[in-house]
Amino acid sequence: MPLSDLTRSRGGKIPIDDQIVRITSRLVVPFIQVYGIYVILNGHLSPGGSFSGGAIFGASLVLLALSFNLEAGARQIPHHAASLLESGGALGYALTGLVGVFVGSSYLANRIAGFPMGQPGELFSAGAILVITVFVGIKVASTIVTLFYYIIEGEK
Amino acid sequence: MGVSEHFPALIVVIFFITAFISPLLYRWGRKFSAALVIVTIAAALGMTVSLLVTVQQAGTVFYHMGGWPPPWGIEFKADPLRLFMLLVVISVSLWIFIFALRDLQHELKKRVIGWYYTLYSILVGSMAGIVLTNDLFNLFVLMEICAISACAIISIKEDRECLEASFKYLILSAMGTGCFLLGVVMLYMATGYLNYSFLHLELAEAFNYYPRNIFTAAALFIVAFGTKAALFPLHVWLPDAHASAPSPSSAMLSGVVIKIYAFALFLMFYEVFPRTLLEAIPLNEIILWLAALGTLFGSIFAMLQSDLKKMLAFSSIGQIAYIFMGIGLNHESALVGGFYHIMVHAVTKAMLFMAAGVIIYSTGVRDIKKLAGIGRVLPITMIAFTIGSASMVGIPGTGGLISKWFLAISALEIGRPVFVIVILASSLLNAIYYMPIVINAFMQQEDFKKDIKPVPRVMLACLVIGMIFIVISGFYTTPVVTLLEQALALYF
Repeated sequence: MPLSDLTRSRGGKIPIDDQIVRITSRLVVPFIQVYGIYVILNGHLSPGGSFSGGAIFGASLVLLALSFNLEAGARQIPHHAASLLESGGALGYALTGLVGVFVGSSYLANRIAGFPMGQPGELFSAGAILVITVFVGIKVASTIVTLFYYIIEGEK
Repeated sequence: MGVSEHFPALIVVIFFITAFISPLLYRWGRKFSAALVIVTIAAALGMTVSLLVTVQQAGTVFYHMGGWPPPWGIEFKADPLRLFMLLVVISVSLWIFIFALRDLQHELKKRVIGWYYTLYSILVGSMAGIVLTNDLFNLFVLMEICAISACAIISIKEDRECLEASFKYLILSAMGTGCFLLGVVMLYMATGYLNYSFLHLELAEAFNYYPRNIFTAAALFIVAFGTKAALFPLHVWLPDAHASAPSPSSAMLSGVVIKIYAFALFLMFYEVFPRTLLEAIPLNEIILWLAALGTLFGSIFAMLQSDLKKMLAFSSIGQIAYIFMGIGLNHESALVGGFYHIMVHAVTKAMLFMAAGVIIYSTGVRDIKKLAGIGRVLPITMIAFTIGSASMVGIPGTGGLISKWFLAISALEIGRPVFVIVILASSLLNAIYYMPIVINAFMQQEDFKKDIKPVPRVMLACLVIGMIFIVISGFYTTPVVTLLEQALALYF
């Protein structure tokens, strides 16, 4: 693929017109995102978790927006999608808690509510904790993106 | 068994669920978003009432989050006193929200109204949590949520004054929460517990080994809750924040939010700290004298104001001090007075801010001097303002008298007549700044000059409900006083 294709401007004004920044961030962003997902999914096993992972994932989208331009970044995760994910993530947490109420134990119940526990130390274990971690990860990532756009738009 | 068993958790959780549905609904089904909030608050009110009935029959209810028993898990506790607080918080919130429906369209930009619903639900939910929780760290988290959403419903108006005021509020209340967290750390260091009931038992013994930790924690708690509830020398953030906010936010903040922290301090004193600690250092005495100064200085500051909402805000500093006085006097009937005042002042101050909101909505006037003759163009509003003022002063026939009566009686009973004088003096001071507004509004010969916008009926209906409640609470006091006496008997 010719270099000009990689760095092609995608309409609108270009905040940073620098090929090195663009190509580097293009190369790096997938790795950052995979790492973010890894940190989120391993929240119940290792240090880090939904907040740190979500922040890493969100930062990758902010990096895209900064190194290309705002429209290109916004296309990755549009405004209404971000707010949908944001509310949805938090809502998911609250509703996961309600499962406990529906099966008749108590709010935010985990094992007693019948969530599969799995083998301790494996990826799919710890029942509701994993589910909640994923929801909070989504919430944090989309919040970081939303905050970034609100600040950028506030300057105009 | 059944869903009613989960009410303590659900009362808090449904607000957060609504909060996160609201922005989505505001985008895709705007018609229903206000209705959703109203239904949520009404449902919470229903659950509170049902829980109160259960608690009165079967005694205090405990709820363990996730099925983890304390001291490991978070515990919610529903006893009569907390449910009384909850009833006040939720019903006043419902009432203010109905008022807000019309007022917000005038005060806020259209695109942020959906966010206001979100913030409002979060605020009410976090206050319900603060009331119900029986765990210090959970209290800390909920206080943070409450503080941030309270700041946000001020700054949502997006003018210079609001942003400045809410920033000031944010910084000072963050310092308050910081102090609180440090105090929690001190107690955790000494005992290893965060649950109120466990702390209460353990602190009695730990007090012999770690007196310094526990003294520091007590001092930090007084500063933390004093800042948050605007106890006299720590009140500096309140006037700007409450005066510049949109009127429903002012009503909410002055009417309900500051009292939640007074209640939290009460819980620290009566449920966390052991009796021996309160006897060893004069904590109650400190609160009492700060409260006495607060009742006087709040009124004196209020007299100097020319802005209507700022005057009401300063008056809140004087009024919250009565509640602290109830805690400081450390006597059962003083606490009945204090809690009665929580209820009466929540309604009265919210109604006064609503009346101020109606005046601003309809005429745009905020200056007290320009209100002359306004009683003839906005009669219902100014009658509401008159009744609210009467309750603030403590004129017989209004709820304000009852709470002051209980405070004064108990001050006499424990042989501290000086506080009766303080209460009388502050009532007179209240009269000095409330009554001229009322007299000018009705008696002034000159006509009110400005153009007026017709006031929506919903807003007037809210004012009428407030008036009726204030008058009823002045005459028919038995049910609430009996409830409070039963509830407080558990602490003595």
